[in-house]
Amino acid sequence: MGLKFSQPPSSPFKAPGFLSSFRRASSRQPSFNPPLQSLHPSIFSTLRRPPAVKPGDFIPLFSDCVSAASSRTQEYLGFQDPEDKFHPSPETLTQVPSAPRTFQKHVSLNMADAFSCTAMTPEQRVLLGADWVWALLEKPTKTPKVQIAVQVLHLPRRKEAEPTEAPSSDSRSESVQMARLEGGHRSVQERLVDFCSSVGKDCYALFLFFGRKNDRENVYGVLSNNFEAAVGKCSKIDRTLIENFFKGSRYLHTCSFIVIVLIKCLKKSFTGDVMNNASAFNVK
Amino acid sequence: MAATQDMKGKGEGGDQNFDYMFKLLIIGNSSVGKTSFLFRYADDAFTSAFVSTVGIDFKVKTVYKNDKRIKLQIWDTAGQERYRTITTAYYRGAMGFILMYDITNEESFGAVQDWSTQIKTYSWDNAQVVLAGNKCDMDEERVVSVDSGRLLAEQLGFEFFETSAKDNINVKQTFERLVDLICDKMSESLDADPAVTTGAPTAKLTDSAPPLQQPGCNC
Repeated sequence: MGLKFSQPPSSPFKAPGFLSSFRRASSRQPSFNPPLQSLHPSIFSTLRRPPAVKPGDFIPLFSDCVSAASSRTQEYLGFQDPEDKFHPSPETLTQVPSAPRTFQKHVSLNMADAFSCTAMTPEQRVLLGADWVWALLEKPTKTPKVQIAVQVLHLPRRKEAEPTEAPSSDSRSESVQMARLEGGHRSVQERLVDFCSSVGKDCYALFLFFGRKNDRENVYGVLSNNFEAAVGKCSKIDRTLIENFFKGSRYLHTCSFIVIVLIKCLKKSFTGDVMNNASAFNVK
Repeated sequence: MAATQDMKGKGEGGDQNFDYMFKLLIIGNSSVGKTSFLFRYADDAFTSAFVSTVGIDFKVKTVYKNDKRIKLQIWDTAGQERYRTITTAYYRGAMGFILMYDITNEESFGAVQDWSTQIKTYSWDNAQVVLAGNKCDMDEERVVSVDSGRLLAEQLGFEFFETSAKDNINVKQTFERLVDLICDKMSESLDADPAVTTGAPTAKLTDSAPPLQQPGCNC
């Protein structure tokens, strides 16, 4: 089992952009057991595990959390209820990686000052295109040093979970409709890219695909701080454009590699220009 | 008043049954309590947990004034500098601002002048502003006196309140005063140039104005 990275051979953003895609490799056959009864360790059991790292070192903690969250998400993606009664909503799936419980470990180890995971409100999901935002915080101001804004894309059958979903209450529904008007004709992908580019190069957009057409059980992702380059090339930033980055994948990386890349983004340990960043993904 | 047409409309999204819609912004340094202030007003809720606002967010609240239904679209802005490009983009078309500082934070008070400049730069001339010194429940940690706040407000031409989202002090009053100021400005503009509206309003919002009322409130 592992997360795999790939670098498209010809990317419209390759120069001067920073981009990589990854997929979470399937580790098992589809389960016919409910996820909560799965033989795989649950995210909760993972969180109960005693920390094997120094309290100040958040990288392994973040790695554990991302790995656990993606494992849990994958369980749900691959689950088929033989009685066809259990249907986790796409909204629930979206919330799995951003659930406070996923990252409460940081809080318990006083990491809240160094790292944050902020779930967006329904209005923000529409306005900014993000489902949640990870950030490495600067002490003592708690100002974000680096951010990764994450948008989850579901398969068409789950499409209603994308940020256009109307919440249940009337007032919420009203405000979400207003937010859509503010967004104009931009796609939710464009809104995320606009948000990240308006913040700066230290704000990365991460599009997470919970399943793809021919691989419904895996989690794929595309990460960049330069998607706006597509606008200059007159390309519309939408799901199709982002999925193009999965074509012709040559480079495969392990689960830990994706976490390392995310951490490097968070720590901004990439040095030099963005071209160096892009080439970093080519090194296995 | 140039924005009257925008204010009087029934073509916006969501619940379209309203007479006017006012776009309001809450601005100020990070951690002065903007989000808590909005939560207290819109949801009558408060939590001491601090979650820094990412970019921008908003809530909608409907109030009544002289039998007119006024929808308030209240934008909660992130105070951190990194979001300034996003937040200032929403200044355009705003009719009112609540410029907030923290009475226990001298730096946030010192930044009021800069925020005022931001309003002048990115908003329109007729935008109304209320200066709010928040966290007045924390008097033992106060570093900005009431007089200092009031004096600065006078110098800048703003109304002034000391507020507490935690203890629900002057929260509703701040919004009500801002709505009153906007209504007054609207009426002034209508008097100056009635042609700016698409249709003659049936009543000025300031005609025999009682206090701003909430639905079901007899006050």
